[in-house]
Amino acid sequence: MQDMATYRPSGGHPVERRTWSRFRYPDTLIAFGVQVGVLIFLGVSMVYMDVRLERLLEFGQRFSALIVDRYYPPEFSLLSQPRYLQAILDTMQMAYLGALFGLLLAAPLAWFAAFNMTPNKRFLYPFGRLTIMGCRAVHEMIWTILLVSILGFGMLAGVLALTLFCIGFAGKLMSEEIEAIDKGQVEAIRATGANELQVFVYAVLPQVRVAWTGIAIYTWDVAFRAATVVGFFGAGGMGWYLQRYVQQLESQRVAAVLVSIVLLVTVSEVVSAWARARVARAK
Amino acid sequence: MPILDVQDLRVRYSRTGAEILKGVSLQVDAGDFCAVIGPSGAGKSTLIRCINRLVEPVSGRILLYDEDVVTMPTRRLRETRRHIGMIFQEFNLVNRMSVMDNVLSGRLGSVGTVQSLFKLFSRDDVERALTLLDRVGLTDHVDKRADQLSGGQRQRVGIARALMQDPKLLLIDEPTSSLDPKIAREVMTLIRDVAREFNVPALVNIHDVQLATEFCNKIIGLQDGVKMFDGPTEKLDRRMLDTIYAMEVL
Amino acid sequence: MTVASATGDRPFDDRIFAAEHQRRRARWRSAAVAGIFALLAAICLYNILVIDTDWARMGSLGEVLTSVGRFLAIDFELIPHLVEPIIETLMMSALGTALGAILCVPVIWLGAHNITPSRWIGYPVGRMLMTLSRSIHEIVWALVFVSAVGLGSLAGILALAMRSIGFIAKIIAEAIENVDPKPIEAIRAVGGNRLQVLRYGIVPQVLPVAIGVIIFEWDINIRRSAIMGLVGAGGLGLTFHRQMVMFNYPGVTTVILAILLLIILGEALSYYARKAVI
Repeated sequence: MQDMATYRPSGGHPVERRTWSRFRYPDTLIAFGVQVGVLIFLGVSMVYMDVRLERLLEFGQRFSALIVDRYYPPEFSLLSQPRYLQAILDTMQMAYLGALFGLLLAAPLAWFAAFNMTPNKRFLYPFGRLTIMGCRAVHEMIWTILLVSILGFGMLAGVLALTLFCIGFAGKLMSEEIEAIDKGQVEAIRATGANELQVFVYAVLPQVRVAWTGIAIYTWDVAFRAATVVGFFGAGGMGWYLQRYVQQLESQRVAAVLVSIVLLVTVSEVVSAWARARVARAK
Repeated sequence: MPILDVQDLRVRYSRTGAEILKGVSLQVDAGDFCAVIGPSGAGKSTLIRCINRLVEPVSGRILLYDEDVVTMPTRRLRETRRHIGMIFQEFNLVNRMSVMDNVLSGRLGSVGTVQSLFKLFSRDDVERALTLLDRVGLTDHVDKRADQLSGGQRQRVGIARALMQDPKLLLIDEPTSSLDPKIAREVMTLIRDVAREFNVPALVNIHDVQLATEFCNKIIGLQDGVKMFDGPTEKLDRRMLDTIYAMEVL
Repeated sequence: MTVASATGDRPFDDRIFAAEHQRRRARWRSAAVAGIFALLAAICLYNILVIDTDWARMGSLGEVLTSVGRFLAIDFELIPHLVEPIIETLMMSALGTALGAILCVPVIWLGAHNITPSRWIGYPVGRMLMTLSRSIHEIVWALVFVSAVGLGSLAGILALAMRSIGFIAKIIAEAIENVDPKPIEAIRAVGGNRLQVLRYGIVPQVLPVAIGVIIFEWDINIRRSAIMGLVGAGGLGLTFHRQMVMFNYPGVTTVILAILLLIILGEALSYYARKAVI
């Protein structure tokens, strides 16, 4: 068996004891610094915000006591009242319109915001990008509050808020899909002398159609989730009842509303996951 | 005494499935560079993987230095695997780790678990790794990420990793299938040379008969799980090749 | 219109007719689907615009535009008072994400079908927890925790943590399920034990994905953290709420701009950090 200590590589010349170190300058230092920095930031945060871990443990016991005491049993009879059922319908309608208009507006915006296919790089591209980013950055609840203060309470503000939210949400996903398409098909259509819109319809849409359908289903699902809560800030729907009962400290009704929200959202999630799987398979 | 003595090895993948290996026996002696050839589906890869029990045989004996691998308990099996170096068709490197770390991982069986968790290898190990990387010609790539290397270079890392174990036997599974012909030849030359230098017998699964006859001193021909030929390379003639590859007309 | 063929071939004409018929049918089908969507939209619009909206209260277009105009100013005096809420918002998002990542561990262990201890019970439970976490809106989580631990940032941190578990666990579990078996085989062949296979075979593949998704979720949590204050859970949301109830519209705009700035910062940091890790 070859003795490693005295082995000489086939070059024939002798080899001194070599060293190698895992430490690489400056990379290792930077990586180490970042990790330490993050930990320090987290530690400082905990101290600054007076986050005491004991409170967390207390919370565990308090939580179960709280549930039994105040929230149990949930006033389920509330859920079958016609006004509440109407609220559920309202929530669905808001979600539907919000998602529908959001998607219809997001599609052209996504086209503008896709760097590879945008019809105009100087104006429409930044316009599309910024609009989508702007809609995304502002939380849907903030949109809701702003629109309620301008338009008053009611579903109109909710629908508009959800539309803006969906533009941001779907717009980003849709433009990413456009940026991932195959250039060959686009070149072929361009070569026939088609204008930009025709190129979009004949080369881009067929390729992104399936992915966009999935995104549409996903968007409806997320819109519904948000729609259940927008009422809390003045738009219609189930959220409005939530806010009322929280304010009036009617905890058992709050519990009932929360349970109904979670149930409906879970159903919606399951249905949309099934629908998306079917769409993906039917490709 | 042969270093590796396989006796009547049978393998099937599921309890009711077909037999992949139907009673294969072979021996590998010191100094052998033994090739296993045959059409696809003959069971060559399975045979190689049985030797270190990456695939479990149904029956048979695999004697490595007179110890039966098949009946070994798990702990002893791990110890034995430390002494069997394996080189893979698709290199099987840890892509995100550096070349050095990949070679050092050859010593995992012998380094304590805690140290290996923190990648703390001894100075001797590091030196050995550097020497091996020199030998395979990768001195300038020691700290590169494995996925930044070309196919041929990655296979060299695989070779260095196998040699890092100071192995008593080399198992090689299609070392050249993922490489283009010129690189394939370079890699085979390297493997043959280091096997000789380090005095390690090798069992190679190879589909390129030309390379097999050029580099190996002994050939085993498999067809459909059955050994059709076992002998020195010179004895392998056209007629025998046709018999082994009879199915491959399609 | 049929194509005149040299030999007056009947079957060819029939095929053209059949093809046209197919295409017409497909067009009708698309039109029908679009029609259903439009009809539903019309019904909803009627309900919302006619029945629900109090047009009188809203006033004329001019009055609406004036309302909007009130927001178009910046309250510069407010800015120094924003520093503390901004810091609090950032810290809340960091702690919430960190806590969520820690709480993910058991969920991931249950929800990845190649490492789950129980395929029939554990795995569905793991998946269900992931879905539950994502289905419940962060406002709902915040309400739950405000009533459990009181007003303040702790409630916000907990709410963000619970909301983040779903996505982080889902991505990491999928990474573990899709792990490349080849390096694992190599480490086994070298004689490594299970811990070494984990450390050298699985961790190098999963860790970059895990860090990437945590950074991604932290970025999203900045957005969520900003509104936790709307229900009393700390951060810029509280400032926003205060400005609204004081009818200080320029102040509201200023807070929104501060939030936007934070989000842009977060997106930039997240983008570069994720590139460094992957």
